[in-house]
Amino acid sequence: MTYVLGIDVGSGYSKAVVCEDTSIRSFAVMPSGGDYKEVARSVAKKALSELGLSLNEVAYTVAGGYGASMVDFADHSLTDISCHAAGIHHIFPSVKTVIDVGAQFTRAIRLDDAGRIANFILNEKCAGGSGKFLQTIARILSMDVSEIGDLSLTATKPVEFTTACAVFAESEAVSRIAEGAAPADILAGLNKAMASKIVTLVTRVGFAPDCAVTGGGAKNNGLVRAIEEELTATVFVANEPQITAAFGAALTAFEKFQTR
Amino acid sequence: MNYFAGIDIGSTMTKVVIFSDTIEASLIGPTGPEHRKLANKVMEETLAKSGLRFEDIAYIVATGYGRINVPFADRQVTEITCHAKGLHHLLPSVKTIVDIGGQDSKGIKIHDGKVTSFVMNDKCAAGTGRFLEIIADSLGIPLEKLGEISLTAQSAAEISSTCTVFAEHEVINKLASGESIANLVAGIHESVATRVYALVKKLKIEPDVAITGGGAKNIGLVKALEGKFGFPIMVPPEPLITGALGAALVGKEVYQKYAADGQMPTRSGRGLEEAKLFS
Repeated sequence: MTYVLGIDVGSGYSKAVVCEDTSIRSFAVMPSGGDYKEVARSVAKKALSELGLSLNEVAYTVAGGYGASMVDFADHSLTDISCHAAGIHHIFPSVKTVIDVGAQFTRAIRLDDAGRIANFILNEKCAGGSGKFLQTIARILSMDVSEIGDLSLTATKPVEFTTACAVFAESEAVSRIAEGAAPADILAGLNKAMASKIVTLVTRVGFAPDCAVTGGGAKNNGLVRAIEEELTATVFVANEPQITAAFGAALTAFEKFQTR
Repeated sequence: MNYFAGIDIGSTMTKVVIFSDTIEASLIGPTGPEHRKLANKVMEETLAKSGLRFEDIAYIVATGYGRINVPFADRQVTEITCHAKGLHHLLPSVKTIVDIGGQDSKGIKIHDGKVTSFVMNDKCAAGTGRFLEIIADSLGIPLEKLGEISLTAQSAAEISSTCTVFAEHEVINKLASGESIANLVAGIHESVATRVYALVKKLKIEPDVAITGGGAKNIGLVKALEGKFGFPIMVPPEPLITGALGAALVGKEVYQKYAADGQMPTRSGRGLEEAKLFS
């Protein structure tokens, strides 16, 4: 019995997945905060403690994500793109296009039949298609980001946004609220604006079915629906989309352990 | 004497100019979230300042982002046309105008006061006044102090993020790691200047160049832009009212054209009233 650990230190949240061979046994998610070194340790311990394990009992640890280099107890580190690819290919082997909607960055990744990375594009220049955008709007509407999806799906007249700029959309949302637009209609409009921004990225990387959405943004079912409409294709979402990269890291850890 | 009013409802500020053969009065007020209710008030105040009555105004032209929300305006004209007209009146030698507003930035090429081409960014907050506003806010500095603070910078801090949201984080991080406020402010001016120059460069830039809009009041930004353009940039005495002045001038032209044919232009027939929602 081999326990391996995958850690994904993202710009917004850090995730840890403990696998027994290639099966997920436990996981933990916590805000990354300002100390990546510390949060990596905490999130790992949290996931391990659910199984009554300590770091010493882990056979191999792989770290990925924005703050991967800060994970001082990892045996190996990977780019977040590789982690996502490994995770999603294991969950949905038919997927060729991965859309990762993270807290600050959105990525579109193209995989080949074997699940290897063929191409990827990272949107790091604009907050428009990232989780940051949703956080901003959630704050204005005094709601939690996790509530956006369900509420947006009850929209009757989605508001049309003229820009996907996070800053301008914020003022546009405020103006629409002042004019009496319903929160659901505003959220549906924002999901649509965000989806169109994301799909531009997907088009640039070269869309091929099947498609999956990962990252915190995948928990917003309204956004997922809007992406499906923009792409005119069905997209897959894992049960726990936010831990896809950490799971990919754990799978890589198992592989590394076997071939070590 | 005939009087003409120009009213420019920008995303951030509302500007009114009353013109005869010269500027009789001008006023600048915040647009605020309920700009529909504001146009008539700013107009009223400008009239009071000039000692004129609403009935004394021969023709009113509205311009800017909120121009459709001025029920008593006799005509609506785009801000591009009005900026060109207004600036040509103030600085006749200018061929290229850079306008940095609260929510957009523009480049306008003019010939004899007429627009020959223009470029505009209103899709991304980077390179607009909004960017400066957000950063000033997170640094706890009043917007109007940015220029003067940046002049004390030793060297502009490098701001690598283009996006306003990311740049805000970057500035805060740099501040936390000991970078001076002056250097950071100089850095954000550099960032806005880079964006604006990249936009305006799409036109064939010809001197003289002038800057209008709120951005023109920021000496640090003007200097950063001069660095990009490679020559001096002219700043009109009151850069915010260029559009409103242009609107009044357009009104005067329209009026005089009719008058030359012995006719009177059609008026809106509305008093100083608030705009209705979605009117």
